[in-house]
Amino acid sequence: MGTAERKESLRYLYDKVVDPLGFKFTPDAALAEELLEQEVKLEQDLGAPYCPCQMRSRVRGEDMRIVCPCIPFHRAHFDKMKRCWCGLFVHKDVTDPDSLPQFPPDEE
Amino acid sequence: MSGPRWVPTIDDAKVRDGACVPVYPKGVGVLLVRVDGKLHAVANKCVHMACPLEGGKLEGATLTCPCHDWRFDVRSGEFLDAPELRIATFATKVEDGKVLVELKGA
Amino acid sequence: MADEVTVYALSTCPWCRKTKQWFADSKIEFEAIDVDTLPDSQQDEVADKAYALSGGRRFPVVVINGEVIVGFNPEKFLEHLQGAGW
Ligand code: SF4
Ligand code: FES
Repeated sequence: MGTAERKESLRYLYDKVVDPLGFKFTPDAALAEELLEQEVKLEQDLGAPYCPCQMRSRVRGEDMRIVCPCIPFHRAHFDKMKRCWCGLFVHKDVTDPDSLPQFPPDEE
Repeated sequence: MSGPRWVPTIDDAKVRDGACVPVYPKGVGVLLVRVDGKLHAVANKCVHMACPLEGGKLEGATLTCPCHDWRFDVRSGEFLDAPELRIATFATKVEDGKVLVELKGA
Repeated sequence: MADEVTVYALSTCPWCRKTKQWFADSKIEFEAIDVDTLPDSQQDEVADKAYALSGGRRFPVVVINGEVIVGFNPEKFLEHLQGAGW
């Protein structure tokens, strides 16, 4: 499968996962494209669409928690930010994703 | 055709305790799982990225997807890390030693 | 006094790219390290340092004069910069 096709299929698969969790794809289309492109490359190189913004360990159990969409494993934190760490997904009511800063889980 | 339909699959005896056996009633991918003697039927397709669940690890009633380790309760279909997500479950019954799976509206 | 800035980043991460861009646009010198593209022999050591600083595996991790900021957060960057003009 080519990169463009895989990007489209990830969009389709992810949408079904994040919607019931209260998230949607970011309205920032350029950001979404960039992130999906990186995920497809990571999948081609490493076997899974890992998070482009979190680093893998050498422990499978840990790494599986940063395969996209990783929302189920970081939910309280992402709900507080109203976005996932990369910003690929935002809460459904978000229209201006640029107004949402990244902050670590222990900060407001 | 509409309404529930019971579709015969394999022999009940073929699903041993602690085993996951894929079947395809009317072409639908279903996984038969026996936990503590009780038979359960779930969709053989992970809600994450649609991997077949049949090669996954079963511990008690918890089935772990072989692709990225998402865990499901085969009794309810619930994804253990976010109950909003679930794999479909199917009713089953045994007649004349065969497992029948109920396909809704199939 | 010049600010001392280090950006721990991943080559795959748009916010890391935006962070480097922000410092460049602000004409602030910084050292940038893409942890994921380091040779294997160095990667673990540098990655462990970034994890110890940030308490996690999220990037970017920005260190400004010894203060750690996790994430692309210009407001926080400004808070910790003391160089001329801020
Ligand atoms: S932070 Fe966002 S983009 Fe990164 S893996 Fe998690 S859900 Fe996917
Ligand atoms: S496809 Fe099942 S965990 Fe990813």
